[in-house]
Amino acid sequence: MKVAYIFATQRHNVSYVLAKMILPQLEENRHGVDVVGMFFFEDNNYVLVDGNPIGARLHKVAKDKGILLMGCDQCCYEREIADKLFPGVPIGCFPDLYKALSGNMPDQVITL
Amino acid sequence: MTAPCRDACCSATPRVTVSDLFERGFRRNRAAPLPILGAELSDTEGNTARFSLAIADERIVDANFRASSCATLIAYCEFIAELVPGARLEIVTALTAADLVEAVPGVPALKRPRAVLAVAAFRAALAKANERQMQTEVAS
Repeated sequence: MKVAYIFATQRHNVSYVLAKMILPQLEENRHGVDVVGMFFFEDNNYVLVDGNPIGARLHKVAKDKGILLMGCDQCCYEREIADKLFPGVPIGCFPDLYKALSGNMPDQVITL
Repeated sequence: MTAPCRDACCSATPRVTVSDLFERGFRRNRAAPLPILGAELSDTEGNTARFSLAIADERIVDANFRASSCATLIAYCEFIAELVPGARLEIVTALTAADLVEAVPGVPALKRPRAVLAVAAFRAALAKANERQMQTEVAS
C-alpha cells in the first residue's frame, strides 16, 4: 500500500510522530507501507529548513526512497523560509501537491 | 541618506515580503477591474493573470489585477500594482521579470518563473493603454 502524510497540526507531530516513529521506521525499512509523499503545513515546515537535524535525516531517506517532500508555499512565505529549504524540496499548494503525486498516487492520505 | 529599512525589525509597513504582498494582493485580486483591461495570459502550469489600469495624462493612476490563486504569482502582481501608480507609461514598459525577481526576495528558484507571467500580463495591459492613448490622439 502507498500512503502520503499530511502534517497539518503542530503539537508533537514532527518531533515525536515523525522523528521518533515514522522516520526511524523508514530508515530501518520496517514502516510497513510505501510512503510516496509528505506535505507540511504551518510550523511543521521548519523541519524542511536546510540544516535541521530531523530534516536532514528525512531529506536523506526521502532521496533514497523517492518520497516527495513539499512545504506549503503560503506557510513558508509567511515564515520567510521558502528559499531556505533543503535542496530540491519544493513549496506549493494543493494543485502542486496533486500534480507531483499524480505519477505515484497514494492509496491512502494520512493527516497528522 | 540611506533608504529606510523595510524589514520586520523596524516594523515598517507595508513590507515587501512575499507573504505581505500576498496578503495585500489577495484583497486586490478580488477588486473590480479598472477601465483599461489587458489580455488574460497564462503559463504552462495553467496559472493566469490579467491586469487592468486607470490612466490619466499618460500616467498610471491605479492598477488592479486578477490572477490565479498562486501565492507567488499574486505577490509578484501586487508588487507591480503597488509600484506603478504615478509612473509614466513609457517608463514602466521597461519593467522586466528579472527586475521583479530581484525586487521581491525570498522566492525559491522553482517559483520565480511566475514573474514572467506577471510582467507579461502587465505589459499586455500597457499595450491596451497605449492603444487607447493613440485612439484618443487620433480622435482629437
